[in-house]
Formats: sequence, C-alpha cells, structure tokens
Amino acid sequence: MSSRKRKRYSKEIKCVFFPDDIKHGLQKLGSGTPSISSASSAKSWEKCGDSFLETPGLKDLQSSGRNPAAIRKLSESPALEQSSAALPVEDPVHIAWSASDSDHSDNEAWEQQRFCVSQKLQRGRRAARLVAPIQSYTSMLSELTPDKDDLPVIDTDSDLEESDCMSQLAREKPTKTPSKDSNEPEISGYASDGEDIGGTFTSSQLDSQTFSLQTDEGAKRSVSEWVKSAQAMLQTPQKSTDRRPRTPEDSARKKRKFQSGGLAERLNRLQCRQRSAVSFWRHEFVPDTSAAVDRPGVMVLEVLEVQEECGMQLALCEHQPPQRDDHQLCRRASERKTGRTLVLFNRETAAQLSPAPRDVIHIHPPWQSLSIEGFSCPVLLNTHFSQKVSHTCEPANVPFKFSAEKCTPYYLGKTFGRLDECGTVDKNHAKQGGSSDSGGWMTRGVSLLEAIEGLGQAGSVEQDVEVVAQRVFSIYMADCSPASIKHKAPVRPSNTPGVEEAKTRLCVLVQDSCGTFSVVQLQPLLASDELSTYRQMWLGRTCLLRGIKVLKRVTRERYSRLFSLIDSLWPPVSPLKDDGNSPSAPGDVRPACPAPSFCYLLSGQQGSIKPTEGQNVSPLHLPPTHRTLQDTLQRGASVGRCSFVAAVLHKRMQSNVGQREVWLVITDPSLQEHERPGRRTVAVCVSASCVLTSSVLKALSSPAVCHLSFTDAIRENGVLLCVEQSVIEPQVKPLPRPVRLDPVSVETTPNSLCSLSGVIVGVDENTAYSWPACSLCGNDNLQSSAERPQSFHCNSCKSEVDKPNMKFQLEVFLSSPSLSSCTLKVKLLQKTIMSVLNTTASESAEFQGCDVESVLGKEVGPMAVYSRVVTRNPALWIGLEEVCL
Amino acid sequence: MRSFLPAVAEQLFRDIQQTYHETSRIPDDLLIALKFVFGSCALPALDLVDHRSVTCLSSPSGRKAFQVLGGSGRLYVCLLSCHYCPCPAFSYTVLRRTEGLLCKHILAVYLSRAMAVTLQESVSDQQMSVLLSGTAAP
Repeated sequence: MSSRKRKRYSKEIKCVFFPDDIKHGLQKLGSGTPSISSASSAKSWEKCGDSFLETPGLKDLQSSGRNPAAIRKLSESPALEQSSAALPVEDPVHIAWSASDSDHSDNEAWEQQRFCVSQKLQRGRRAARLVAPIQSYTSMLSELTPDKDDLPVIDTDSDLEESDCMSQLAREKPTKTPSKDSNEPEISGYASDGEDIGGTFTSSQLDSQTFSLQTDEGAKRSVSEWVKSAQAMLQTPQKSTDRRPRTPEDSARKKRKFQSGGLAERLNRLQCRQRSAVSFWRHEFVPDTSAAVDRPGVMVLEVLEVQEECGMQLALCEHQPPQRDDHQLCRRASERKTGRTLVLFNRETAAQLSPAPRDVIHIHPPWQSLSIEGFSCPVLLNTHFSQKVSHTCEPANVPFKFSAEKCTPYYLGKTFGRLDECGTVDKNHAKQGGSSDSGGWMTRGVSLLEAIEGLGQAGSVEQDVEVVAQRVFSIYMADCSPASIKHKAPVRPSNTPGVEEAKTRLCVLVQDSCGTFSVVQLQPLLASDELSTYRQMWLGRTCLLRGIKVLKRVTRERYSRLFSLIDSLWPPVSPLKDDGNSPSAPGDVRPACPAPSFCYLLSGQQGSIKPTEGQNVSPLHLPPTHRTLQDTLQRGASVGRCSFVAAVLHKRMQSNVGQREVWLVITDPSLQEHERPGRRTVAVCVSASCVLTSSVLKALSSPAVCHLSFTDAIRENGVLLCVEQSVIEPQVKPLPRPVRLDPVSVETTPNSLCSLSGVIVGVDENTAYSWPACSLCGNDNLQSSAERPQSFHCNSCKSEVDKPNMKFQLEVFLSSPSLSSCTLKVKLLQKTIMSVLNTTASESAEFQGCDVESVLGKEVGPMAVYSRVVTRNPALWIGLEEVCL
Repeated sequence: MRSFLPAVAEQLFRDIQQTYHETSRIPDDLLIALKFVFGSCALPALDLVDHRSVTCLSSPSGRKAFQVLGGSGRLYVCLLSCHYCPCPAFSYTVLRRTEGLLCKHILAVYLSRAMAVTLQESVSDQQMSVLLSGTAAP
C-alpha cells in the first residue's frame, strides 16, 4: 500500500513550478527553475501544492517493525519540500508561504500572518529551512494555506450563490433536515444544552483574524470575495447576523473562550487552518488533471465498496498503479504494496466526491494514515483533498446514482477500550492477581512516577504502588539535635543511668518496577533496635506502598549522599518496565540508561509499607554485598557504597564542629591475615546522622572486642564513612587473636591504630602528674578525710580509704628505630607508666615523685597506640595514645 | 455491514494514551484526527477535558460511573460499560440519527481517561443509586 521507502531527495531549495510545466506533463523531480509567472495565483498555488508532493517519504509503520508494541501509527503523507528565497525577486505576485513550524501550534504570529492581507506584495518569504523527511500532517496543512495577500483571482461568484444557500441552510434548525444536509457536516445534529460551541467559535475566530483589509486595488475585491466564500465554506451553523435568541446565560456561555493553552484552543486553531486550506484547495485545484496522478504522495485508489457510517463514508479501496512511466515513479510503485486501504471521508468530502464502486479517486496530501491493531489494512483519515477521476470506461453521465449503504449502527454496549480502568489515577483492583507472572515481574500496579506526578501538587497518593524495599534504615528525628547525641554513646563504662535514647525514625528506600526510587519516612521507632526487625521483615521484599504523602522531589545536587546509594543500586539487576502501562515482555532488556536523577521523599505511617503475601525476595532487589575489608579498600573510592563485617578494635568519640562523630578502628581477618603489612586496620567515622542503635552502643561500650556489620558505608579519602543511610548492626564473629597492627610509620594517618615500640627519650613534664584514687571503687573522687589527715574519704563508695592508689598521667617522647626523623609523643596507660616507674599499685601510695632521668632510656612496647594527631610541618610529628585492645 | 469506526476510535484513544503518557502532550496530528473522526463534538469534548470536567465516581458497593460537568453547569452521568449519556445530543445525534459516534460528554470521558486526568470521587451507595436512577429517566 503505502510505499515503504522514503525517497531520497535533496534538502535544498525546491521551488514552485510555473504552470507551463504542468502542461508539459512530466514533472521534473528535483530543482526546477525558480521563476513564477505573474499569472494567476491559482496556478501558482497549484504549483506550490505540487512542490511538496515531490517527496513521497511515506512511512509505512505497519510493516516497519520498529514499534512492535504499538502497531498503530499515524503516518503522514509525504514530506513537504519548501522552496526558500530562491523564488524570484521580480515576481510580484505569488503566494508567500508562511514560514512556520506548525508543530508549535501556539505560534500566534504565524496565524496572524496567514490571514493578514498586507498591501505590500511580498516576496517569497519562505524560510529556507531543512525539512525533515517526514512532516506531520498539520505542518503540511499549514503550508498549504497561503497568505491572503495574493489572491487576485478567485472564482467565487459561482460558489457564492451556493454558499449563500448553504449558509442559509446552516441557520435552519437541524430538525428540519435540510436537503443539503450533506453539505453541512459541521452542524451538530442537536445542540446539547443549547450549546454549540464549536461552530460559533470557529466563525468568531475566523472573524477576528481576517482581513485587516489594506488598500490594494487588485487584492481588495478578491479578498472580500474570498472571505465570503471562505466563511460560507466553513459551514458554521450560525452566522453572527442571525443568531438564535439566547438567554443571557447562553450568551455568556457562547462568549466563553477556550482555555488558553488548552487542547480545545489548539484544535480550534488547527481546524481553522484546515478549513481554510481545504476551501482554498477546492476552489483552486483544477480537477481532472491527469498529471496529478503521478505526483508522489497522491493516493490513487479505486473504490471497491462504500458504506456509510455515522455520517461519514467508508470506502474500501484498492491501490492503483501509476500510469506514467517515470522510472522513479515505477521504482516507488514497485515498492508499494498493491493492497487495500480503507478510506474515511467526512460528510463534506463525501458529498463532493460521491464515491461509488469503480470510481478512481485521487487523494492528495496531506492525509493521515492510521494503522489499527488487528486490521489488515490501514485507514486513511483527513482525506479532504480528494478528487474523483472518472473511470475512463464509464460513460460521463451515469444514469443511476450510487448511494452508499448505511451500515448498522455500532453496538453501544461495547465501549472503545475499557473504561473501568479510569486512566491511571485509579485504585488498583484488588482482584488483580499476584504481582508476578511467570517471569516474576511486577506487572500490576502503577508506577511511582505516575502515581505521584499524576497528583499535580504534593499531596497524598491514594492508590497502592508496588515497590521493592531495597534498603531499610533509620534516621534520627529532626527534633533531636546532634549535639545532644554526645551524651548518648558512652565510651567508657559508667554507672550513670542510661541516658534517654535519641528518637529514631524508620526509613525505607524503595524502588518501583519502573526504576524510580523514593525514600519513605515512616513512623518513629519505639526503640532503635526495632530496626533490625523491620530489616528482617522488609529488606528485599515486594511491598505495597499506600497512604503516603509526597514531601518533595530531590535531585542529585543537593542530596549527593542519597544518590550515591541510589547509584550503587543502579543499573537494576533485572530489566525494568518501560512504562507503567505496557509491561515489557520478560526478557526485554531495557537499554542501559543513566541512573535516575531524582528521587522522591515520601512520608507515611505505620502500615504504609506492607509486604505482599507469600513473597520471597523480589527479583529487583540488589542486596548489599558484604566484602572483606581488603577488597573494599582495594576497590577504590568510586565504588560507591560498601558493606562489610569487622571487629572494632578501638572507639573514640569526637566532636567535630558541634557534631558528634564516633571514630572506630576496625579490622577483619582479610586485613589481619594479609602478609604484606601496610593496612592492618581501617578507620571508620560514624557521622552524626548515622544511627547507632542501643545494641550497637552496648556492644561498643563493652570491654570485649565487638563485631559489627556495616551496610552501605562510603569510602572517602581512605576513610570509611557511615552516613545517614548506613546501618550498623552487631554481629557475633570470632577474631583470631592476637590482633596484628601496623607499626607506626611515616604513612600513619590520624585515627588509626598502630603498634609501637621504642625508647623513651623525653618526658612532657607539663602534663605529668599523679593523683590518688579510691582503692576500693577506683573512683577519683577522694576527699581529704576530716578526721585523719593522711587518709581519704571516697565520695562514691562512702568509705574511708587509707591507702589510695595512685593514678598517673604521663606523656613521653619515644624514639623508634624505624622513625628516626619523627617525633613521637605517646600518652601512656597506667600500666605502662607503672612499669616504667618501677612501681606497683601498692607501692604507689608512697610515690613521691621521680626523676625524669630515671625514666629516660626505658624501653616500652610493643603497645597498641591510637594516632590522634599527625602533623607534617615542619617535620613529622605524631601524637599517640596508648590503648588497650 | 460491518462497522469500522469504533475500531478507528479505539485505536485513536490508544494512541492518545500512549503518546500522552510518553510525552505529556497530544500532538496536533492526533487532535486533528480526533476532529475528523468525531466531528463537531471533538472540540467541545476537549474543552471539557481542559476544564477537567470528568469525574469517576465510585461507591462502596463497587459501582462506578462517570460524571461530566457540561458547559451549562449540568452534570451528566455516563456509564462505564456502555455508551450512554443523558444529554439531548446523544439521544438525537447518536441514537436517533446515528450521525455521531459519541456525544461530547462521552468523548470527554474517553479523553480524560486516556490522559489520566479523570478526577476521583467517592460517593455513598445511596448517592450512587440516585445518580444512576437519574440517568435511567428519559
């Protein structure tokens, strides 16, 4: 049927042909000489009309196979070629094509230009623009409609009478069934509610746009005539001069304008354009030109059957081969399938045409072709530019007039597509089966994007959306200031009653079947440990999201941490649905597309997320991959998020610009057993936004080495960072003892755990001191006993202490053989100090003081030290603290 | 003889739904095709859609119906399972003269559905009965 191949054509300037060429018959495809005679514009129009016919780029999408899912396409008639300013300058009278991109139908200026009668006889102002091979119907339509400035000869007189007659008929009440009913397709059979918006508006639109008539002798008369004929041809049911008496209410309605920017306004413009194009074409087109047959884009069809339906005529036609022997045409024809097509004619066209079987009809572009699913032949729409070319065999006067048979009206009980699924804003039917078909796809439900974007403004999403819970974590609630968290994590065991835990809120990062992510903030947790229960219940499961509110939509720039998590979940492990509506077949892999650039923040309550029944892990779930620390460190910072299990060797609280940070030094067997030294431990910074549940705090505060599982930590600057979305959970896992540590070296970074041995070469006398402590409870809170000057009273255990223990603080400078040019200052632990001082606890009561010299030269270590400070200017200076693992 | 127009209409709605879903826009060509197939009720129907005049009513019993706010301010209740609208244009043009496929209200329902701009409203069973019985009355 329609030719599949797009004819190549040059995108250069094409121009109109002058009438002489037509007479010669053969159209020269390609550039022609750009002169236009100053003959009738009618002929120019014809030429202009022809020019765009040269490109037959018909798109046969039915067979293109490019869109298997949607077989339909509205394919367009051949592309329009435009000639540009190559139109001759000397010709004063010609059609000036408006240069419009009519796809942007809100091009008001274009509209005005089109209708404006300008007194200057314009030159060809057709813009030299590259025309895409396939042009839309409407854009081609726009190019058909000329400017009104050059219409010197319009043979309207004969039509005028007819049109007057028709307009008169239009005024009649439709119930009278005027005899020329077929000429008035635009009359709505019965004005419902007394309304008749379409017709009135059209006429008013036309009225408003026409004809700022300029003083131009030649043009004036013809223009006004054209106006009349155009108006008549538009067949509006009412004329402004003869309005039915209306109630004021009606008038108000009549004057109601279409919503600006709305569909109705756009269609109105389009149909005006179409009407004027059609009416002009009808007037100007010289029928029965055999040469018209061969123009590309013209459908030559033989009518097989005609039936009438709903006022329109449906003709089943067969393509006719071209009669000319142009090699190019032949090529095209051979590629064309000689097949059948259904042609729809509206009432107006049908009245003009009166298609009957065996008639040959030429349908000039632009037209539209619709491929319908399940139909073997396409349907031609908007076939306004049709003409009948009488069958040569038939006598000119056919005595018997064919009238198309009316087909039985369609069955009203069958709707055009299902209406009970009202768009996509509807609730899901509960009856819809399980969420997966054989492939385990989530085929039901709307997508998150649709559900939310369909709301318009942030509001409540009413329908259920099926999602995968990719991550479950908790966050501190907003009213809990990070500063107060300082008190929460006890670093050393204390007897003070547990401070009230900061309130945490449950959060889930969900992903819908189309790939859209969102973070759903749920209810506050009663106890921070509840998180593990929820993680167990939800992680990786398909859940139904309901009753959620949209907080906002966030983008990468502001929420880079969140998006680093999303990136780690991209690309998806299993193919996503293309859109919410048409589930792609299993096995359909969506081409790799970039990670989402936005994410929703939603809020819900308890019950907003509900795992669906009988679920195993959803195929879309991308679980966190636990790796060894060795792997994690080797993979590089660009990896995104990392998860691992490790033993915490040391913990330290730090306050960084008012925010609580917990520093942990961790290790795992992969680091411990690795032969090559260099990285035995890793530092982890737990930022203030990362929740430390009570069980984790408890594990951290216990003296034993605790094992923790870290999920979705970030690697940054060689340090692992736990942020808001990270989860830390206690684990039970043995660690081979003893723990090996890296020795202190020039590469030691702060907050790391190392081992050190060396010789004391100096003492920081400013910080060296000792103080008594209670021998019973160890508390430092001793007071001089009032009764006995030599003994003390312990305020915590309320006992008398005769011989208190002495506690010491001593910071020494060490020299280590491996670090000769480095200053190492170490704060020693009590035990080490006492061994250095050669004293024991019992003796310490008598400790009076000692000489620095007695300490110098003593060897200490190997001991575990925590590097607090590392400065490199001017020389390497490391401040360390001995720690007990 | 077999009727073809419903298939054409159905295909158009499918196209509109798909295109609108992909691009949030109905291209000019589809609009003009709508006009061609549905005639004079296309423009008013689009106007109704622009004004978001179509609501899907649902009741606890599970019944659903469409309610279209006509230009005059009158509410028309159209059914989901078949083509029916109580407006005079439907009775005249579609039923009596079979010159139209639909009236503008039903067309607006289809378009709203295709563009997913149907509003939702819940009504009680009693209200639904009243509405539906109202449509039955000539």
